[in-house]
Amino acid sequence: MATLIVKDVTLTFGGLNALSNLNMEIKPGLIVSVIGPNGAGKTSLLNCISGFYHPTSGKITYGDKDLTHASPHQVTNLGIARAFQNIELFSGLSVIDNLMLARHTKLNYNLLQAAVYFGKAAREEAKNRAFVEDVIDFMELEPYRKRMVGNLAYGVQKRVEVARALTLAPQLLLLDEPMAGMNIEEKEDMVRFIMDIRQERGISVVLVEHDLGVVMDISDEIFVLDFGVLIGSGTPEEVAANPKIIEAYIGEE
Amino acid sequence: MSANRWLATGNFFTTYREENRIFQTHIDRLVFCAFLASVFVWPLFISVSNKYMLVIDNILVAIVAILGLNLVTGFAGLISIGHAAFVGVGAYTIASFSQVLGDSHVLITHYWPLMLLAAGGMGAVFGAIVGLPAFRLKHLYLAMATLSFQMIFQWVINFMTFFNQGQTIFVGRVFWLTGKVGRRDHYLFWYYVILAIIVIFGFGIRNLLRTKHGRCLAAVRDNDRAADAMGMHPGFTKVYAFALAGFLAGVAGGLHAYLYRGVGFESFTLTQSISQLAMAIVGGLGTLIGSFFGPIFIILLDLQVEQLANLAANFLPSAGNLATALRPLSFGLVIVLFLMYEPRGIANWWRILRSYLKLWPFRY
Repeated sequence: MATLIVKDVTLTFGGLNALSNLNMEIKPGLIVSVIGPNGAGKTSLLNCISGFYHPTSGKITYGDKDLTHASPHQVTNLGIARAFQNIELFSGLSVIDNLMLARHTKLNYNLLQAAVYFGKAAREEAKNRAFVEDVIDFMELEPYRKRMVGNLAYGVQKRVEVARALTLAPQLLLLDEPMAGMNIEEKEDMVRFIMDIRQERGISVVLVEHDLGVVMDISDEIFVLDFGVLIGSGTPEEVAANPKIIEAYIGEE
Repeated sequence: MSANRWLATGNFFTTYREENRIFQTHIDRLVFCAFLASVFVWPLFISVSNKYMLVIDNILVAIVAILGLNLVTGFAGLISIGHAAFVGVGAYTIASFSQVLGDSHVLITHYWPLMLLAAGGMGAVFGAIVGLPAFRLKHLYLAMATLSFQMIFQWVINFMTFFNQGQTIFVGRVFWLTGKVGRRDHYLFWYYVILAIIVIFGFGIRNLLRTKHGRCLAAVRDNDRAADAMGMHPGFTKVYAFALAGFLAGVAGGLHAYLYRGVGFESFTLTQSISQLAMAIVGGLGTLIGSFFGPIFIILLDLQVEQLANLAANFLPSAGNLATALRPLSFGLVIVLFLMYEPRGIANWWRILRSYLKLWPFRY
């Protein structure tokens, strides 16, 4: 368990500051939410952390590791997993295969052993399959195991997306709008999953979400962005009382 | 608890290893073994003239090449328009040995399995080099890179005196346990060799596809952003896909060189590349079984149309020119029809047939 520190991070596209001088500290063991109006830079922040973007200036560290210039696969191998906002699953593969892909770096055999299959590869596959099944149980995906992901319903795909991130066995899970486009029932399920992820699996969660009701209910700490600037942070109560944040959301009187 | 391992019904799994088996039921396994035995045994009972044996050998060589093409284009989703050039790399590896050592050097005639491996290795090296642009390029732009390799390959072969400027470079007859493989047994001998290689590679690839080294190919095809987030390097994975395809193509090229006992550049032109792409599409991209159906279908179709054209030319000598146009015409037509009506290829028919047989004699 390590602390994720975002220090003076600025991300510039052309003349536009997507993030400017952002300072955050995400402590382990918490559900931390990042909120803000559209275009506030929430997803850009997640992209910076997970290595898809690299900050123009500033520094991101996780424990004693520097993530500033790390590639996504390096970040993943440090124990930070990411679920995407727009579903980015391997749509031509089954749910099982999608989740097994998340075990890619944990499957320990070489090309030759894989081509022979019998022996080490078979053992490793079975061992990691057991882990995958554990996640499938956890995320209640049993009916869809062998189904092609591209043919599943939207809500289920979102769940597979979270399950795949979980299968990476991370310490820190970045969820980018896991509840976007869901109905109330699916949202309730997802909230339950997120709370269970923290409680049962001991994984810290960084949640980007637009549904403020959900955010206020489950977050331990909230960071509020507006136009790439951090305009406030704290517990849900502190944030709800912060006049600057109210102004960003509702506007001036 | 004893499960019924013979039929799909009542066949339940108690371990994950069981679920990962290639043959889910004993009947599947039995049918496959019977089929395998029959392809190995039939030449003992039916004698086929060398002319037709060559056609069959040709199909088998094409299958080896298409196995590779299907990995890179079907599974990894990287369009390769230069596959014939990779096959050529393999063939010209052997031709180079023949040029340097003489066409009947002991290395070529006695250690031909080694030569085939060398051809494959060379194909893999060139595949990896040509795959390097995949770090930056995607889709059609990457296809252009492979196309340029095809062009460079043809140009190099045509202009280098070392390669006889594309004229045939001879490769000697090989030796087997029984001695020199003579003219009469040549095609039969290579039938068995290629068949054995296909069985080994076929199972090898099937095994790869149920492990991480095969899954990662489909991952970069479907979504290379997410593949990156899974902890694999998408660029390296694509280069690896090209290398794997290059290896299989190289072996196919080596086999081609030995089969024809010579290497000439006209077997590795752009036309061949396109035709191989057609075989992969018609067979079914992204399916292992499709790599077998495609070459069989396209090569047999070509043969039939050629005979038809000859027949037509006999009856209507004035239409002879038209008849020769039948071959490319039918070839193009078949591809268009498949893309329109069965984009998933013959492999899809196979899938439908299998699911039908599974329930037979019931409808559902």
